[in-house]
Amino acid sequence: MSLILRAHAEQQFAEELAELAKADTRPRPPNWRLSPWAVTTYILGGQLENGFTVTPKYIGSRRLIEVAVATLATDRALLLLGVPGTAKSWVSEHLAAAISGDSTLLIQGTAGTTEETLRYGWNYARLLAEGPSEKALVPSPIMIAMQTGKIVRVEELTRIPSEVQDTLISILSEKTLPIPELGKEVQAVKGFNIIATANSRDKGVNELSSALRRRFNTVVMPLPATLEEEVEIVRYRSEALGRALELPAEPPTLEEIRRIVTIFRELRAGMTTDGKSKLKSPSGTLSTAEAISVVTNGLALAAHFGNGELRASDVAAGLIGAVITDPVQDRIVWQEYLETVAKERKDWKDLYRACKEME
Amino acid sequence: MITLFGIRHHGPGSARSVRAALEKLRPDCVLVEGPPEANALLPLFADPETTPPLALLIYLPDNPQHAVFYPFAEFSPEWQAIRYALTNQISVRFMDLEQRYLLVADRTDPAPVPMPVSPSSDPFQILAQAAGYSDSERWWERFIEQRRTTEGIFSGILELMTTLRAEVEALGQIEPQNLVREAAMRKIIHTAQIEGYQNIAIVCGAWHAPALTHLDTVQADEALLADFLRSLSRDRRAGSPSSQPAVSLIPWTYDRLARRSGYGAGIDAPGWYEHLWQSESDIVEGWMVKVAQEMRAEGLEVSPAHAIEGTRLAETLAALRGHPLPGLPEVEDAIRAVFCFGDETPLYLIHEKLIVGQRMGKVPSAAPTVPLQRDLFAAQKRTRLEPSATPQTLDLDLRKPLLLERSRLLHRLNLLGIPWGELQVASGAKGTFHEVWRMEWRPEFAVNIIEASIWGNTLLEAATNKIQAKAARATELPMLTRLLEAALLADLPEVIPPLLERTQFLVASSTDLSHLMDALPPLINISRYGNVRQTDTALVRRIVDELITRVCIGLPAACSALNEEAAQEMFAHIKAVHQGIALLEGVESSEHFQAWLRTLTTLATLSAGHGLIRGLASRLLYDAHADPDTFSRMSLALSSGAPAADAAAWLQGFLHNSGQALIHDPALWQLLDEWVLSLSETSFIAVLPILRRTFSAFSAPERRQIGEFARNTGNRLLSATEIKLDPVRAEKALALVNLILSPTPYDER
Repeated sequence: MSLILRAHAEQQFAEELAELAKADTRPRPPNWRLSPWAVTTYILGGQLENGFTVTPKYIGSRRLIEVAVATLATDRALLLLGVPGTAKSWVSEHLAAAISGDSTLLIQGTAGTTEETLRYGWNYARLLAEGPSEKALVPSPIMIAMQTGKIVRVEELTRIPSEVQDTLISILSEKTLPIPELGKEVQAVKGFNIIATANSRDKGVNELSSALRRRFNTVVMPLPATLEEEVEIVRYRSEALGRALELPAEPPTLEEIRRIVTIFRELRAGMTTDGKSKLKSPSGTLSTAEAISVVTNGLALAAHFGNGELRASDVAAGLIGAVITDPVQDRIVWQEYLETVAKERKDWKDLYRACKEME
Repeated sequence: MITLFGIRHHGPGSARSVRAALEKLRPDCVLVEGPPEANALLPLFADPETTPPLALLIYLPDNPQHAVFYPFAEFSPEWQAIRYALTNQISVRFMDLEQRYLLVADRTDPAPVPMPVSPSSDPFQILAQAAGYSDSERWWERFIEQRRTTEGIFSGILELMTTLRAEVEALGQIEPQNLVREAAMRKIIHTAQIEGYQNIAIVCGAWHAPALTHLDTVQADEALLADFLRSLSRDRRAGSPSSQPAVSLIPWTYDRLARRSGYGAGIDAPGWYEHLWQSESDIVEGWMVKVAQEMRAEGLEVSPAHAIEGTRLAETLAALRGHPLPGLPEVEDAIRAVFCFGDETPLYLIHEKLIVGQRMGKVPSAAPTVPLQRDLFAAQKRTRLEPSATPQTLDLDLRKPLLLERSRLLHRLNLLGIPWGELQVASGAKGTFHEVWRMEWRPEFAVNIIEASIWGNTLLEAATNKIQAKAARATELPMLTRLLEAALLADLPEVIPPLLERTQFLVASSTDLSHLMDALPPLINISRYGNVRQTDTALVRRIVDELITRVCIGLPAACSALNEEAAQEMFAHIKAVHQGIALLEGVESSEHFQAWLRTLTTLATLSAGHGLIRGLASRLLYDAHADPDTFSRMSLALSSGAPAADAAAWLQGFLHNSGQALIHDPALWQLLDEWVLSLSETSFIAVLPILRRTFSAFSAPERRQIGEFARNTGNRLLSATEIKLDPVRAEKALALVNLILSPTPYDER
């Protein structure tokens, strides 16, 4: 196995993509590697006619993924909106991998993102030596995507300052990127599109201007609807991660995952699953992604320090770390939860003890 | 020759196909699934005044609540077939088992379901699942309703249904009532053939179509029907099957057509279906524009560009899902992503207004109705009040004759159990000449009207009779005064004298003082309404006079030796009566008020009286500035000699709900303050629990304010009289205040 820590989606699932391309007879939009139907199947999983099984990448509403894929097929830009940990970036990476075969055209939005990051920059040594020329130009991922007809991803769009965000307007409506220094422009090739993700819970974000907003179709990524769905996501993802990280541990037991997901869901909803008692909610989001990381963290502990089987003591540390993000408020929330809910549940004794020991 | 058109009720695609097929077939007779009793009403369907949605209402006159509705929308295939036949002068009639049998047979079933779309086992569901659909409606919609070509569709449906029915019949799951109905349908078709019609078109639910292909079962059908009738007459408690049902045509609404409300007709989105029916092409574009306009009207930022993008997304989604045309789910998904930025909330808005729709039908004035309904029509026309399915608020200024008339109409309808308008609790500021109504017409009022028509043929007559019947049964005074109030509001002059007479009789004979006290506030209200409502209130005033006198005499006796519970009750009564008397005109100087104050004084000093009552009486007297002894009363009641419980009750009665009064009435504050200061330390400690208990009844912000007040102002408060005012300087400030407050420029005053 290679030493790369994390392979790109198109590398990791190369076989699935190839099989899908083989089986896919439906019309493909220009420069798409797969038809919209095949992209949907790739994301949601399914069985091909030749018996090949495509693993699900996203477990959740089919409708959402269909809307997302259809949006990209209409050459409208796609905005995935949701609280942290609802698989926004994950879905956008796989969409790009399935549609363009390339998920690497990526811009991470930050407060320091400048227009150059979105448009193009200059190799200043060359610029000074030779003057403005195409060779001195450093294209942005967006520019490359326009030239090659691929999908480009913009992560955390709302973290980019408003005036920089608006650079995207002309790219999205005119599909051109002028380079006045050279008296030229780059015109987007068919297949070019943007998938942006944004966080609906962040503080200090820059809301999209309505001009920019209306150039996006918005899909809101929800938190998993049911306990079963969330357990399934956590189990599936932590197994895959465990494999990728070459952890020698056994796959986690469903019971342990169910307990973690239950804790997360109860604290998030501020209410026990039976709806009988009210709880305080901690300040963190407690998303599914965090539940996954608690489980993989526990798996690593079990593999390297335990007997390889995931136990309550292995998850306790990660669990407390995930719940307590504010050392004062969240600690109270967590202790209340432990004493009023976890202690009362008969088969949670080991977890309760493990958590108490951590303090 | 007979031709069968198997349809789905209220399917726009079916409607279009039926219309096209009929135009091609040019039949000489059209038979439509529906109650044969309603044949006489068929010509009304072509009346220019008639606007769908409508419903045929079939009911037993002796029990109108037991009714069946047959709704029709513009996009119902039955409606289109009937309209086609009527405009082309083709003979048309309904075809089904006569409803009178079904009504009787259904009697034990409290919720009659009109037009069952499919039998209980739902073979359509099996079909849909086989085709990979979660829901039979979606399947039918996709394969039958969304089809744009009509060629051969009905023979296809017939074949499909024949196979399906054979399966279900093999399982023995055909509902027996359906078999009887189909026998009756065959009989009607047979009759039409005997009458000599050559080319008969039959429009019926798809499920029934296969049963109507073979008509050579006349004898078996006769036997089946005869069996059915015998089974009915055997069932004694079902009542007599011979009672003739009455038929009427009533306006219907899309809301009622939608599945979510009572008499569902099995469709979710009447508004969307209407759109499908009305637009020949550009269905999605048209819908997107409608949605955009609706959202713009609600103040959302939606541009034509949104509509364009929404259409494109819906079409791409349909292609992705393998549909030839976008359906409602695709359209909704597109609207959510493009118009609403992923937010669900604006979708609820269009659901109500567009997807379900708020259309309400209109029946021609020639439609057979009970006389009461006709009177209501006339009244609606006179008062210019149009029934509407959209809820709205109506503010009536009763000083204007038209608006007064409206108020009377609504009050009369409410009396008759037809709650078209719901009277909102009038805000105090508007006074007695304003009424605010929340209006919403519901189609089932048609039944209520029929039910109410046993009372009379006009609204006035019916309301009068109903109230008289109620009054005759009323033996308690409060009930009677409430009726009296209702009668006055509804302006039923005829009943008022007998009602008043009966009230006077009961007042004289009633020994229960609480009844008398209960009756007083409504009567006082009536005498106040009088001048606005132009009713003669002299008689009411006389009864009020008598009541007050009797209450004043009886009260002290009624207030002695009460236990806690009775005292609480009496407390509420006294407060209500006091408020009532205070509202009487010219009250300050009136004899009644003086008498009432004397009574209160007696109550305040009543040695056997409950603390609560004595406290209340002292307070009411204090508020009326009629008692110089409040301070001494307070000291006395709260002195250390008094039993603690009694003292607490007194304070409770005195300070009931007056946290605000304490804050804003310096004199009251001072009174309490002085009394607390006058206490020695030991007696203060003794009385402290009682004080605490009383104050704990105030709301938390009030307590906090009182606390702050006590701290900030120290232990003494300045009352207005103690501040030295300079009238000259005040005058100057007043001029400015006047300028600020007055709406007209100062110079003109």
